[in-house]
Amino acid sequence: MALCGFAAAATIPTGPNVGEAVPGFTLKDQSNNPRTLHSILGPKGALLVFYRSADW
Amino acid sequence: MGLAAISYDSVPVLKQFSDRMHISFPLLSDADSAVIRAYGILNESVAKDSAQFGIPHPGTYILDRRGVVTAKYFQEDFRVRDTAASILLRQFGLKPPAQEALEAKHATLRASAIEGELRPGQRVTLSLDVTLPRKVHVYAPGVQGYKPVALRLTESKGFQPDVPVFPPSKTVKLAAIHETVPVYEGQFRLLQTVTLGNAQQVEPLLDSNRQLTMEGQFQYQACDDRECFVPETVPLKWTVKVMQFDRTRVAPDLQRKAPR
Repeated sequence: MALCGFAAAATIPTGPNVGEAVPGFTLKDQSNNPRTLHSILGPKGALLVFYRSADW
Repeated sequence: MGLAAISYDSVPVLKQFSDRMHISFPLLSDADSAVIRAYGILNESVAKDSAQFGIPHPGTYILDRRGVVTAKYFQEDFRVRDTAASILLRQFGLKPPAQEALEAKHATLRASAIEGELRPGQRVTLSLDVTLPRKVHVYAPGVQGYKPVALRLTESKGFQPDVPVFPPSKTVKLAAIHETVPVYEGQFRLLQTVTLGNAQQVEPLLDSNRQLTMEGQFQYQACDDRECFVPETVPLKWTVKVMQFDRTRVAPDLQRKAPR
């Protein structure tokens, strides 16, 4: 009897939606300085990019 | 407008990358993926015992000054990424540097020059600015009985075009013939986003300067207040420089290892 695998055709999760506030954070930058979300936002807002790796 | 990028890389890895690529904006280290998790975008389909576990589904948020999302860009295929310049053009209408003007019949065309170099898989938005003389109009898509503006890129294995984006048209009543039609007058801009192919698809198409040429045609029918002219087809060209697929690694002792 054949077993059918069920492939969930779920789309990828994409996090906070339009209209929602993103979570704050404090992370070190490449010069080892702590940066908060607030420090990144300018008067016109910001582009916040999530990427897989700077190495591979 | 601020800019920052987050990954699970350690600070030393980010420092090497930043120095090599001369990056002036913050690269933030989320080494335990706490922030990636807090945003709900941890890629859970990666094996938990691999060095890759902890990566996010990659994408970009546009935030307002309070940190509220106004737009976001995520792609199903992780190798496909919108360039920042394209997002700025599509989202904010930021004018790209204009190429020289092409004089066509009853219209002046300016195809956007693309700044910098692109990589395989990137999405880039090309623009075409059309300027019409006084009293001349052309027809917008959806018109009946006239040839509407159209932008078609020549098929190529090097890129996949989206459907072009046309601006909102103006509805005018042509008194002489008692017709109401959608038109463009004055100056308007068309946007055409394309997705570059992967390295294997793009490399054979590059010239000796690593330039990829994308060709297309712009079609329109111009009319002034007295007569309509024959439809025109204008050949167009956009050239982009494509960098090699970047395989440079950081020093081995900095490379992330699988959890023990």
